[in-house]
Formats: sequence, structure tokens, C-alpha cells
Amino acid sequence: MTLDNLPENWQQAYQEMANSTQSDALKRFYQAGVKGLDCPLEEAPLVALDIETTGLDSDENEIVSIGLVSFSLQAIKLRSAQYWLAKPHSALTAESVTIHEITHSEIQDAPRLSSFLDEVLDAIAGKIVVVHCAAIERPFLYRAAMKHYGEPLLFPMIDTMALEANITFKPWWKRFGRQPSLRLDACRQRYHLPRYRAHQALMDAVSCAELFQAQVAHQHVNKQDLTKLYCY
Amino acid sequence: MDVELSEILDTLCEYAPFSDLKDEPILQDMVKDIEIQYVRAGEWVIAPEARNDTLFFIRSGAIENKSKSGKLLRRMHEGDIFGSSSLLRGGRSSQTMRALEDSLLYRIPARWFIQFYSEFDAFSDFFELSREVRLKTAMDNQSSDLSLMTCPVHSLLRRPPITASHTVDIKTAANIMANERVSSLLITEDDALVGILTDRDLRNRVVAQGLPLDVRVDMIMTQNPITIDAGDFAAEAVLKMMATNIHHLPVIKNDRPVGVISTGDLVQRESHGSVYVISDIYKQEDVEGLVAISKKMSHIFTQLVNADANTQMIGNAMSHIGVAFVKRLIQLAERQLGPAPIPYCFLALGSQAREEQIISTDQDNALILHDRYDPALHGDYFRELSDFVCDNLDRCGYPLCTGDIMAKNPKWRLSLSDWKRTFGEWIEKPKAEALLHVSIFFDLRGIYGDKTLARQLNSHIRQLAKANKGFLSALARNANQRTPPLGFFRQFVLDGEGKQSRTFNLKSRGIAPIADLVRVHALALGSNKLNTFERLEDIEEAGVMPDGRARDLILALEMIGMVRIKNQKTQVEAGEEPNNKVDPETLSEFEKRHLRDAFNIVSRQQEFLKYRYPGKG
Repeated sequence: MTLDNLPENWQQAYQEMANSTQSDALKRFYQAGVKGLDCPLEEAPLVALDIETTGLDSDENEIVSIGLVSFSLQAIKLRSAQYWLAKPHSALTAESVTIHEITHSEIQDAPRLSSFLDEVLDAIAGKIVVVHCAAIERPFLYRAAMKHYGEPLLFPMIDTMALEANITFKPWWKRFGRQPSLRLDACRQRYHLPRYRAHQALMDAVSCAELFQAQVAHQHVNKQDLTKLYCY
Repeated sequence: MDVELSEILDTLCEYAPFSDLKDEPILQDMVKDIEIQYVRAGEWVIAPEARNDTLFFIRSGAIENKSKSGKLLRRMHEGDIFGSSSLLRGGRSSQTMRALEDSLLYRIPARWFIQFYSEFDAFSDFFELSREVRLKTAMDNQSSDLSLMTCPVHSLLRRPPITASHTVDIKTAANIMANERVSSLLITEDDALVGILTDRDLRNRVVAQGLPLDVRVDMIMTQNPITIDAGDFAAEAVLKMMATNIHHLPVIKNDRPVGVISTGDLVQRESHGSVYVISDIYKQEDVEGLVAISKKMSHIFTQLVNADANTQMIGNAMSHIGVAFVKRLIQLAERQLGPAPIPYCFLALGSQAREEQIISTDQDNALILHDRYDPALHGDYFRELSDFVCDNLDRCGYPLCTGDIMAKNPKWRLSLSDWKRTFGEWIEKPKAEALLHVSIFFDLRGIYGDKTLARQLNSHIRQLAKANKGFLSALARNANQRTPPLGFFRQFVLDGEGKQSRTFNLKSRGIAPIADLVRVHALALGSNKLNTFERLEDIEEAGVMPDGRARDLILALEMIGMVRIKNQKTQVEAGEEPNNKVDPETLSEFEKRHLRDAFNIVSRQQEFLKYRYPGKG
């Protein structure tokens, strides 16, 4: 399986990867499976994840921070929150610094991503990962795993941005003017969620978890058929 | 790994009680234990009969709090905290919480609440279950002991009193004064104060009169001098000294003199234009002079508020000043019209009688005439006198009463017997509707002329009222007609039925309900006090209300009064006409929180009134 060729059957793909992988961390990850897939959403173990990067191109840019928090539809447990800073191999660009506000001095002493990628995998193993904009998170994590383990890392994701696009979608003949913004903050405002400072990986993960709770609470999400939720 | 949840911590620390704990490192550990929950409008947060094991912080949205029986108790919004009362009861919840809007809640596990509650006073004070204790703690923390207005008389005393027995002669007395370097000497008999001797007395009554020095001191001393209680406010001492034009005031504690305060002590401490205004008023020789002084009233009022005077003191000062205007105007009227043909007494009614006047109060007054009153002979005199006083009061910033309850109105210029008959009808054949318009007459104080007339009328009223259950129950029903709001919600004031409005009247929804209900108890008791605070002290002593409830009402009145006065000060400073309307948006969180407690205390005492003075209606 590759970025452009996602598996039809995740359970089966996980089993194959668990058997073929050379990496202990990946083996643990794939062996944990995707438990959430066959249980109702209320009981599904969820984890919201967000990364900050040096730029938008996963071929050229790198991850500088990762934040994640486990949650359920009832509670986002800050006790489970984890946050890592990573020292990239290339220099930080001025544009990216203005977005995530992580500066050279802060990452000077930070470890390399490779030193904690195992921890990240352990934290999300067996859980359904929720992100806002899978088009960023998925390729960056994929490349990081390729670089570190020499093997692909792929897993199903729920994308709150894709969900919101569906929720707010109107065919052109019903639409008036522009499509509504799908930025995390704009989506949150539609559910009267508070404004947070954006672009801090952990708070963005918490934000994303809150947004997903709100989307489900507003019954925009089919709780029975989880496979429909995934962004493939 | 560095967990970056500072944004959540920062938000919590913007609100009490976490704002008081913001420097405690342990708060960072607590934040890690928070669970966040999104609830939709209409969803239960604490359902009926449900147990609760978390403290909730509303990050966004709104929550409605109702009692088991479905009565609206509170509406809460961003920054409010709930769940504490069930945590203090081991998880048992007697109330329900339901999302009024889509809300984001931070849930703080009970163990943190329990830990902070036992470790931090600021935290446990905030969650104090009893709104009475909460209000008291808040008020205690507010009052400063630095101001002359709020410090007690005994704090001004610098030395024990210098005393001499009433049997010593003038020479001995003068020697004591010289040796002790004092300008006044307290004269005692069996340790009790019987007189005072001052430098001025030695000059005027001894030297100038050529009196021999072996005359006993009790022949020349001022007998039974005016005194003040050690626990009274220093400002009261100032008022007393100004009103009576004396310079030494013996201080009494448990019937024994404990010291003397002089004008010097007070001036040294703080000089207050507000109290000197009274002697200024008496110096005016014409109405124009009084009108000129009245222009300074708003300045005097703000000065008092800025000096941290409490509401009781301000009410007292403003009433004394108001009375001084009336008295001086009557003196000027008598100068024009000649002395009164028969004895009479000018009455202050309502807030002026209760000594609870504030800035811009309508005048409410009346006249008692001696029973020799003959309209044909004396009618013109008292009409002219009343017109002069009332019309000029209006010019001095005390507007004419819209209900026409003024001496100017011939209906309220009656002989003592007619007054007694009128009150007799009100009391013995009470009609709630009619009583509503005359309740103001039950707060009646003689301020000029033959005050025995006012005293006789007051004791007549007291005897009748006390014995008349129908009257008391009608009065109680009236007292319950104006109810306080439930609390606040965002920029609105919230009523029990869930109605929200942009402004409310602090007088009719707060001050007046208290004055009204206290009046009922005071009349039932036969108390001769008029001031609401003093009435409450009598009520407490007599045990009419359950233990401590009278004190709660004192706190509530002080709290509501404080907000009203501050609000008016702001209006005055902005050059507006002060009124009683308050916009909740101008209130601080502290004020909203404690006003809610105060309103609640008033509501409960209104309930008690129904039970205490039952009747048809």
C-alpha cells in the first residue's frame, strides 16, 4: 500500500503489515489493529493528532512538532495529552516560523523526530486517529516513517475538515457566493466553540477533538457506520 | 516532554477562584487532569437524581440551573463554575444542570476540588455554601479601616480619659487640666459621667463671671453632656459635633467614659467638607445662599463615596444635610412670617425619616399642628410656611413629591388628633391598596418645632399597629409586591420566570423591598426605631426572625446600597442626573456575584414575611 493506493480493507492490510514489517514499533502498531472500526462510535477509542511543519510540501519539508490527545465522545482527557518538538534537518523558514511560532532557539536542543516516533506510534496504536486536514498529516507521517523505518506508515483517519466540507456542502445552484471556510477556527465557530490561539500542535489537537465532538453532537455524523467516516 | 496546555491554564486563571491561585504551581498539575466535553443545547449535564463527581468550568456556552422541583435558580455562562455544592455533599445533587446553549465544559475531577478546598482559603471562601457567609466574607474584605468614615470612634482615642469627681472645686479641676495638658475634663460621680468642663467654660463661666475658685465644679460644668458610643463610626461623631456645635465629645463604653475626642482629633485625621456643610447651611441668611450650597451636593456626595463611607454613613450624612436644609428654610420662613401662632412640628417622611437619604431624593414631608389649630385663624400661616419650605426645597435640589405627600398639600397639614384618627383608620380598617400609598407615613420623624407632637403620634401608631394583625398582614402583602431579581446572565438581569432585561431598578427591586419588610417587623414589634439598620438590630434582639437572619439582611442592604451609591457616583461624575437604574454590564463580577446572594436573602425574607403575617389576599 502507498499514499496513492489506500487499502480497501484496513483490517486485512494491518494484518499483512504486522506480518511483513521489520520494525518492532510498526509491528506493535499494526498488531494493535483498528479496534474502533467494529464498535459504535460512542465506545470507539479516539485520538486527535496535529503536526506543525517547516512548510506545506511533504517531500521537502519536515515535522517540527506533534501534539495528540486521546478522547471519546464524552470527554477529551488532557491527562493523555502528549507533545513533542522535533529538530528538523533543514533550517526553519521565516514563513513557517510566523505560522507556528516555534523559533530556532526553541528547537535547538530538541531531539530528532526519529528518537520519539516509536512513542507517537504507541500513543495512537489501536485508536481511531482524528485530524483536521488529513492531506497534511498523512503524507508527512508517511514520509517520516519511510525515512526512519524504511517502511510506509498508513492508517485510517477521520478528517474533521472533510466532514465539515460534507456538512456545509451545497450544490452550486443552492450556493450563494463563496464556499464556507474550512479552516479549523472557522469550522469551530460554526459550533460556537471558543477561539484558541492557532498553530500549536497540542492545542490544535484538542481543538480538533472538540470540533469532532461538536460535529457528532449536531448529528452530522453517522455513528453506526464508521467506515463512512474515514478519509481514504 | 513538555505538555503545552498553558492556553487552558491561562483561561482558567482569568476567572475566580482560579485567579486567586494563579501563582500556585499545582494548578498546572490540575490542568492535566481536566476533561473537556461538548454538550448540545438541551442536553443534561447533571440530570435529575444523577450523581456528580466533577467540578465544571464553562469555557463557552451557557448552562441553566434548576431546583429539583423545576424552579429556575441560575443561568451561567463563560467563566462560571458549577457542581461544587454536590461535591461538598459527597456527590449527591439536589439540583439539575442543563445546557441552554451549545457549550464546551472543562471537567475538573473532584479530588482537585477537595484538595484546593482544604488548602486554599481564597478557594474555599469562593465555594462557601452559605450565601450569607459568602456575602459577609466579601463585605469584610471590602471595608478598609483607614477611612474616617468607617473607623470606629475608639480607634481615634489616644489616651485614657482625664476625670475628676463632681465634688472637687474649680481650682483643683483647673490644676488637673493644666498638669495633664488637656482642654477638657470629664466629671464623674461613682465612675459614671455626669458632666464636662472645658477651657472655654473656665473662661466664660468662671473668669468672666468673677466666680470664686472654691466653688464646686458641678456648679459650672455642662451637665449630662452629649456623648458618643465607642463603637460608633467616627463620622457619626463628626456629625454630632457639627450639628450641636460642640468641640469635645466624651466617648462612652458600657456606661463608663473611656476618652474624649475633640474637633482637633478629627480634623487631624481627615478633613471632610461634607460635614462642615451643615454648619454652612445654618449660616445662610437667604434662600439664594442655600441654593448655592445645594449646587455643591453632588460634589459632597462623590467625596463621601470616595472616602469609602458605607451606605449607612452616607445615608446618615445625606439625611442630616437634608434635614439641615429643611430646618434652615423653616427658620427663614418664620423670620418672614413671624413666629408660629400655635405649636407645630415639621415631619420628615420616608427615607429622610429613616436617615437613608441619598442624592436626589424627592421630598416627603408633612406637618402636625397643635390641637388648638383653627383653620380660620391659623390656616394662612401654615399654608404660607409650607409653601415657602416645599417650594424652596425644590429649588435646593429636593424635587416636589410626585405623589403630593408634602406639607404643601393641605391634606397632610393636620392637627395631632386628626393625624391620630387618620392613622387609626389606616390601621384598623386596612385596605392593602390604600395602604400602598401611605406606607411612607409609617416612617415619620419630627425634625423641627415641637417634637413631642411627633413623639405622641409615633407612640400612638406603634400601639395601634402592634396589636392589629389584619393591618400587619396587609402591610406584609404590600411589602412583597416588589421582588428582587434572581440574578444576572451575561449583560442581562434575570427574573425568576426566566425573563431577561437590560436594566433594573436597584431601589424598587432591592432597597425598597428590604425597607418595606423590615418596617412590617418593626411595627409588629413596637420598635421606636426608624432607620432600617437600627430596626434590624431591634428585630434581631427580639428574635422575630430565625437566628442570624436579621444580620443577613443588614449585609444584603449594605451590598445593594453600596452598588447603588457607586452607580450614582458614576452617573454624577459623568454629569448625568443620578437615578436608581443599573445596567448589569457596568457591574463587576464581584458585584454580580454578591448582589445575587443579597437578592436571594431578600427573597427568602419575603417568603418568611408571608408565613409570619398570614392573612387573606
